[in-house]
Amino acid sequence: MLSAQERAHVAQVWDLIAGHEALFGAELLLRLFTVYPSTKTYFKHLGDPPDEVQLLSHGQRVLEAVGVAVRHMDNLRAALSPLADLHARVLRVDPTNFPLLIQCFQVVLASHLQGEFTVEMQVVWDKFLTGLAVVLTEKYR
Amino acid sequence: MVHLTGEEKSAVTALWGKVNVEEVGGEALGRLLVVYPWTQRFFESFGDLSTADAVMKNANVKKHGKKVLASFSEGLKHLDDLKGTFAALSELHCDKLHVDPENFRLLGNVLVVVLARHFGKEFTPELQSAYQKVVAGVATALAHKYH
Repeated sequence: MLSAQERAHVAQVWDLIAGHEALFGAELLLRLFTVYPSTKTYFKHLGDPPDEVQLLSHGQRVLEAVGVAVRHMDNLRAALSPLADLHARVLRVDPTNFPLLIQCFQVVLASHLQGEFTVEMQVVWDKFLTGLAVVLTEKYR
Repeated sequence: MVHLTGEEKSAVTALWGKVNVEEVGGEALGRLLVVYPWTQRFFESFGDLSTADAVMKNANVKKHGKKVLASFSEGLKHLDDLKGTFAALSELHCDKLHVDPENFRLLGNVLVVVLARHFGKEFTPELQSAYQKVVAGVATALAHKYH
């Protein structure tokens, strides 16, 4: 559960990403695959090494889903239900991988926002993304 | 032991040469205490940790952060024998400080984010990868003597 101020921090950061979902998403995935190569096992369809066009396309999809979450912070379960079903029935990404993605997300935010990436933003986005991961893996069993 | 290529080792060392160890240490420890507030359990004697601002400005946090990072800095000179380098500290963290080794992993991750914040685009995926290996190696070395 995010407070009003926490939601403001989420929205504030999202404003800087919105419109650039493909670029941020591609960098996120590239960092994930470079730093944690075992995560590539879930993305064979992107090629190995991953194709740049595919990275941008898939990165956009991932970040657009984060955008959906940002717009429905008070109703994440309903808004992400189809994605939760997808992860439970089809993708079945082991839950231990989400913290790896979140670490890379923090690095992307930090490296792009730099001086603007306050400690308040870091804690709120860690909380927000962790909550997102919980919703996506909740239907696993 | 950390398995870095010669290129990765050079990149890690080159970047570290530009790091203000005192400043980055305080920032990393401060961010750890704010982002993962349960880690404050080890620092009850540090004074005011009630708000993010209080934590980041806390003199004890800065002082301790500097100490922790100076130690990490030493470790960077001995990447081939992290377990030996951190053996005594590992015993201390187990026997006297009673710190769950998970905290070393958390701090390592926060340090990587702080480096990304300072260096921006220069902190490439490859450099992140090398540093994540280093912090993981240090965390493992610090946990090595636990019993």
